[in-house]
Amino acid sequence: MSAAPLVEAKDLGRVFDVSKPWLNRMVERVPRQTLAAVIDVTFAIGQRETFALVGESGSGKSTVAKLTVGLIAPTTGDVVIAGVSMNDPSRHAERQRLRRRIQMVFQDPYASLNPRWSARDIVAEPIRAFGLLRTRAEIEGQVGDLLRLVGLDPADGRKYPHEFSGGQRQRVAIARALASRPDFIVCDEPTSALDVSVQAQILNLMRDLQGRFGLTYLFISHNLAVVRHMASRIGVMYLGRLVEVGPTRDLFRAPRHPYTRMLLDAVPDLDLTGRPRKPVEGEIPNPIDPPKGCPFHPRCPFANSRCRSELPLLLSGGSTLVACHGVEEGRI
Amino acid sequence: MTAPVLSVRNLRVEFPTRRGTLVAVDDVSFDIMPGEVLGVVGESGAGKSLTGTAIIGLIEPPGRIGAGEIRLKGERIDHLPPERMRRIRGKRIGMVFQDPLTSLNPLYRIGDQLSETILTHTDVDAGEARRRAVALLAEVGIPAPQQRVDSYPHQFSGGMRQRVVLALALAAGPELVIADEPTTALDVSVQAQIIALLKRLCRDHGAAVMLITHDMGVIAETADRVAVMYAGRIAEIGPVRDVVKAPLHPYTVGLMGSIPKPDADIDRLVQIPGTMPRLTAIPSGCPFHPRCPRAFAPCPTRRPELRPHGRAEVACWLFEPDMAEAAR
Repeated sequence: MSAAPLVEAKDLGRVFDVSKPWLNRMVERVPRQTLAAVIDVTFAIGQRETFALVGESGSGKSTVAKLTVGLIAPTTGDVVIAGVSMNDPSRHAERQRLRRRIQMVFQDPYASLNPRWSARDIVAEPIRAFGLLRTRAEIEGQVGDLLRLVGLDPADGRKYPHEFSGGQRQRVAIARALASRPDFIVCDEPTSALDVSVQAQILNLMRDLQGRFGLTYLFISHNLAVVRHMASRIGVMYLGRLVEVGPTRDLFRAPRHPYTRMLLDAVPDLDLTGRPRKPVEGEIPNPIDPPKGCPFHPRCPFANSRCRSELPLLLSGGSTLVACHGVEEGRI
Repeated sequence: MTAPVLSVRNLRVEFPTRRGTLVAVDDVSFDIMPGEVLGVVGESGAGKSLTGTAIIGLIEPPGRIGAGEIRLKGERIDHLPPERMRRIRGKRIGMVFQDPLTSLNPLYRIGDQLSETILTHTDVDAGEARRRAVALLAEVGIPAPQQRVDSYPHQFSGGMRQRVVLALALAAGPELVIADEPTTALDVSVQAQIIALLKRLCRDHGAAVMLITHDMGVIAETADRVAVMYAGRIAEIGPVRDVVKAPLHPYTVGLMGSIPKPDADIDRLVQIPGTMPRLTAIPSGCPFHPRCPRAFAPCPTRRPELRPHGRAEVACWLFEPDMAEAAR
């Protein structure tokens, strides 16, 4: 990262109200309940870089994706893209201009494509919405080019989403994302719903497109192998917090946080090296009632009394940032 | 030589439609030995789940077993009357499915569901059934089984629920466990726990396992032998080490190459062009030939049979000495 980063998340936090309805609260005498889905998440993504967030379900990674593109508003903190705050009311006009440059690809192409629109209309929508091209012929030509770009036949534009296979549908979703000529694409589990051979096609396509158009990706996935393949830097999330951030290579070669180690250890061993796997203990706790101190301490083999009472901060250690008392004290 | 627990010969599952009969599982044969874990791997539409469904006799009409036979410890179990098949399921064949929420009845306590299975299939009284239910929960690693036995499924997390389903599958001491994508809905750390548990339990109980999954990683960790399915047929079957490390069939080669690996720097993943054919348009000859980088003369017209090659068996003309000679 030489120049200023394209995307910056600063102390991003989001709290959801998961209370029961008012009447239930009164009758059952239960207080309001909140769930902190994202807490103090800070990261920066450079131009043409792929930054990935990994974590298990409930770690808050998809909420970060939605906060980053502005689909939901943060409770605390801010997202700054190309120098423009996504939440500062005074910069509304600039933000509207910025919208074209930000796109998103979702996990489930069944849910993210309108079943009543043809692929052609789906891909043309951003072009029309942002007024990028005026005449019908121009738009049609552009849609054809986009479909070709993602490996579909322009004649497929007549088809409706249900006529495509899962992989082809994800290609349509990518073509739609590219239609507004974005700089930054947030990909939330883009290949989780696909078969491995189709996943390989989509991952290759996404890397080709990145090289060709100089795209910047925020890549969200639970699959460490996929993340390793796609990202240059990785942030590991646990219960709404970043616990380790670092360059992909370092993170995979020398994971520091016990949770990162556990995640890497849990990846099935395809090379059949016979590497002994440490039994992983426990499951992610309920985020409504997270553990005190370090959120990982109930599952951590290295936890001591400090871990149980005091929240570790994300501190720099070597090339990575780690939030762990054990690492900080040199115990691990 | 010991006899196989499960023996499937020339199994064919078909769906009659107005536009002709669709063949979803075509001439599939394999054996599972006592204590063995056979992995069945393939992408969506390969027919792997349907093969499992056929074995437990739960193919939904109009689907039907068109040909072939299925033997459990030598006894034919295809085309058994529904009532007799029902007695085999749960007692002699245990089942684990992908989504534990759909395998458990949300309205009954965990302990009652376990006791019901035990009472249906074994000769014990209610007190003994409950005692066994608690013991089973302890065995699958449910903390405080004495209390949890009275909980409802929604009070468990996903991983714990799948543990309960494993307990349920093993409740009557089955000879065979069919696990269809048992870890697909779970997080990686929990997935590893369930795989380890499945392996240990089946070893302890001496049950053979048919493990159906799309995840080569799970197969590599768990299975002794693996069958790779494509378009309703077995493309390759052999010891897991051979198939994973030195795959023979071009489809298996492509499949293995398309998996991103956490400890390798590769710029591009191997890509198999195209997609799995639909049931309505399975290509002639070898069904993989339109996508195969090494297809040659016989592939589009003549169907390759499974033939031994080394310790594995492969259905590919490249491994027929005469054919490969002619191609050169």
